[in-house]
Amino acid sequence: MGALSILIFLPLFAALLILALPSSLKGSYRYIALVFTLAQLALSLYMYQQFDPTLGGINSISGYQFVEQIPWIRLDLGQLGKLEIDYFVGIDGVSLPLIVLSSFVMLMSIGASWHVEKSVKGYFALLMVLNMAVMGIFAALDFFLFYVFYEVMLLPLYFLIGIWGGARREYAAMKFFIYTLLGSVLMLLVIVGLYFSVVNPASGAHTFNILLMMNPSNYVDGSFFGFLGNYHEVFGVPARLVGFIVLFFAFAIKVPIVPLHTWLPDAHVEAPTPVSIILAGILLKIGGYGIIRVCYSIFPDIAADTNWWLALIGVLSIVYGALNALAQKDLKRMIAYSSVSHMGFVLLGIASLTAEGLSGAMFQMVSHGFLSAALFFLVGVLYDRVHDRYIYNFRGLANIMPTYTAYVAIAFFASLGLPGFSAFIGEAFVIIGAFNAEAMLTGVPRWMAVGGSVGILLSAAYFLWTLQRMFFGQTRLQGGEKWRLALTDLDTREKIVLLPALALALVLGIVPSLIFDNLNASVIQLLDTIKPYL
Amino acid sequence: MTYTVTAPITDVLDQIMASIPLFKPELLLIGGFIATIVSALFVGKRLRNFTFAVYLLTILITIYFLQAQLPTVATGFSGMWMIDPLSTYARIIIATGGGIIGLFIQQRHKLGNNGDVYSILLAAILGMNVLCNSSNWILAFIGIETVSIASYVLVGYFSQNKAQAEAAMKYALFGSVCAAVMLYGLSLIYGLTGSLDFQSPEQLQGLMVAPEPILTIALLFVFVGIGFKLSFVPFHVWSPDVYEGAPTAITAFLSTIPKIGALILFTRLYTAWSSTAFYFSDLTTSFILFVSITSMLVGNLAALRQKNIKRLMAYSSIGHTGFLLMAVFAYQANYPYLLFYIMAYVLMNLATFIFIDALEERTGSTALSAYAGLGRKMPILFTSLTVLAVSLVGLPPTIGFIGKLLVFTAVFDTYQMADEGAVLFLLIVGALTAVISLFYYFRIPFYAFLKNNESPDIVSSDSKILVWLGYVLTACVILLGLFPSILLNLITS
Repeated sequence: MGALSILIFLPLFAALLILALPSSLKGSYRYIALVFTLAQLALSLYMYQQFDPTLGGINSISGYQFVEQIPWIRLDLGQLGKLEIDYFVGIDGVSLPLIVLSSFVMLMSIGASWHVEKSVKGYFALLMVLNMAVMGIFAALDFFLFYVFYEVMLLPLYFLIGIWGGARREYAAMKFFIYTLLGSVLMLLVIVGLYFSVVNPASGAHTFNILLMMNPSNYVDGSFFGFLGNYHEVFGVPARLVGFIVLFFAFAIKVPIVPLHTWLPDAHVEAPTPVSIILAGILLKIGGYGIIRVCYSIFPDIAADTNWWLALIGVLSIVYGALNALAQKDLKRMIAYSSVSHMGFVLLGIASLTAEGLSGAMFQMVSHGFLSAALFFLVGVLYDRVHDRYIYNFRGLANIMPTYTAYVAIAFFASLGLPGFSAFIGEAFVIIGAFNAEAMLTGVPRWMAVGGSVGILLSAAYFLWTLQRMFFGQTRLQGGEKWRLALTDLDTREKIVLLPALALALVLGIVPSLIFDNLNASVIQLLDTIKPYL
Repeated sequence: MTYTVTAPITDVLDQIMASIPLFKPELLLIGGFIATIVSALFVGKRLRNFTFAVYLLTILITIYFLQAQLPTVATGFSGMWMIDPLSTYARIIIATGGGIIGLFIQQRHKLGNNGDVYSILLAAILGMNVLCNSSNWILAFIGIETVSIASYVLVGYFSQNKAQAEAAMKYALFGSVCAAVMLYGLSLIYGLTGSLDFQSPEQLQGLMVAPEPILTIALLFVFVGIGFKLSFVPFHVWSPDVYEGAPTAITAFLSTIPKIGALILFTRLYTAWSSTAFYFSDLTTSFILFVSITSMLVGNLAALRQKNIKRLMAYSSIGHTGFLLMAVFAYQANYPYLLFYIMAYVLMNLATFIFIDALEERTGSTALSAYAGLGRKMPILFTSLTVLAVSLVGLPPTIGFIGKLLVFTAVFDTYQMADEGAVLFLLIVGALTAVISLFYYFRIPFYAFLKNNESPDIVSSDSKILVWLGYVLTACVILLGLFPSILLNLITS
């Protein structure tokens, strides 16, 4: 069993251990979760350190590292050919940063769950299963395996939101589940279609191997998603375009893009703080990752045709999300909408089809990952103390919670793209990429870059305005003296959770090469596969 | 079909003698049937579980004979009886399911002398074996009637109140009408073609030249009979009432085993009839497409409004029937995915009903709202039930997902070759109804885990064996979902 498999299945052992221990030891569950997640982070950092940045990955197996390929399901279906499913995992420059990010955010989430009291056993077990599924998604290179992890991720989330969530938790949990499932059942049909269109040249069997799906020469002539001379149409639309749209739809729900984002504010607001952290920090990245790994790599021809539309959706999400954030009166909802806006940059960067834009998008995903986690944690701090997060119920918090205010200010400034922090690098690179796209003839016009910049401006507006409304001025609290007593400043545990995230924002803002170096080869290779179709 | 009336009597006898080994498992079932009657009459009063032991023994030996028959492909009794791996596997599933149902009944209905119920079960199994092994309309009709009559008796057998008696009555009336209509259709087909074997060239030729209006009526009438047994739309109206009214053990039986036999018969019929370029083939194909799509839609949409878990499962099984018809539609001389889905379906349904029954025993109710807050009292049971719900929706890592994937694969292959919009529509409906089904299957964990109920009143129960059996089946649901090769290699080898 290789390092990557250990990384994926470590949380599963933690979950089984937690389930096996009797309830009398329930105080130990959080320590088990903590220890296993720490081990996971250590392992992922080891992989980061061992990673060879010169290898590109994307569509060549030799470019992947920590590869494990074990035959899983082999079946002769007679006329339908042989079924070939592998346990096939590996990482390249695209998945490495996200894996490190995931283990980091998971750790933050465990830190945030320290005081959970309701059904502790179930809670930590579900959290660990979720952890496993997320790692699996980022590592899987077999579409079947990817799909299994993708769906397995939904179940723990449904229960985590539904049982430990807020007042309208049942509604939010179901809405989240239905949205994602709607995307993924249609994705399943495309997976089946791809399976029939692709043949493993080595064995002659149809395959679910994602890498083999990226190579045009592996497609059967005249098959449904065949590359060349494909006459298949679905209700008058070319089959490959349909396949791309369906897959994009599935991942776009996760990103989320406007107008498929409506599950996100509900899920975030109702979810408990640790789950919000995971949702914003990791799950939204699955959308972006899926678009790069699956949509763009398997359908490079369609990617080149449709990037104008994708960039447009990105710009719309940026501006619409920011405007919505501006109008929110609930702090958590505001941050949820800011996520929509920030993830729009990811889509714009990917769609720009330039090296700067793609790297910027990846960087933005990582940066948004821990920054949004920190933001949601900060909201949780407030909510834990007074069970309220209505912006207008607070005023002048700086006077009674100075340390907290400092942390919030840093997180806000980092998120709004102040130079020196990581979000600036991500957003700047995306905008540069989008701006250069016209010169590179990738089909994304300059005004979209301008649209993105407007988003940065708006994000400054809503973050600073919120800072002003809640933290400055005379202290005035809705709950009066009772709240004033409840609103104690950050304790040590909270500082321990927050400090690394904010430090990371600063470090990556100053030394972005920590991420870019590992990313570069993969980005270039992805662009090389798409370039011929531009 | 040529009846060998003109052949010398010795030849006929020789042929019958030669065919008897092919009939061994069924002969054994007949023997077991008589033995259970005798035992229920004479021994049942003194040795309570003796009849059950005879029943279980019969089932076990039948399964043994069936697995010995696995490689056999043969016909006997002048072509009336045919054996191939498809039928043998189906019969093994039927017998195994029958064994579990027997245990279910034995555990749940301990009061009184219930010995007769086992003989009825054996009769039902015999009827289904007949359905699996025949392409002759007479035998098929006999099979359907045997299963039906046995089912009527089973539904009414334990009836203690008006609702249960009413369920049995409704079932018997609806079933008799459907049987009569089917018989009329069969007579028309015999009149048109002069043959009673639906795979025979004579019948196909007869159907090719038959006038269209009368042919339409004949075919649709025949489908009515099969439709009743499979309870696909629009012949499904009986099932929610009967499922709700019958004791849960019998509901578990009705929702699984009788469907297998009818499905195998329908598969053979569809393969034989859909392969020509004539009107009756088009009609058969359109019919199955229409019925499959409407069953999935009606079953899943109606399930959304149900508040009683047994009614919910009735509609869910209508939806699953639609999905099974999708598998039949794509059937092309290879059966693994059809059998796999049947097995997945039987496994999931039996386990679900075992848990429903266990909960009925403890809460005294089959209303979904009665599960409120029980998740914490019975965490393992409800976790298992949630796993089953996941499998019924068709999500990984469960057997339900693999089953769905295989069916999608087969249908997609058909679509790729035929390039017909209707087939694509079928695929999309199949995929989207999974999303709809999520709504209602997840009511179970929703009530159990998400709803709060401070003082749920539950009584303890002593039938531990059943619940454990349910856990084992649930474990199989996950195990076969992760490693489907175990089962698939068995079927394909």
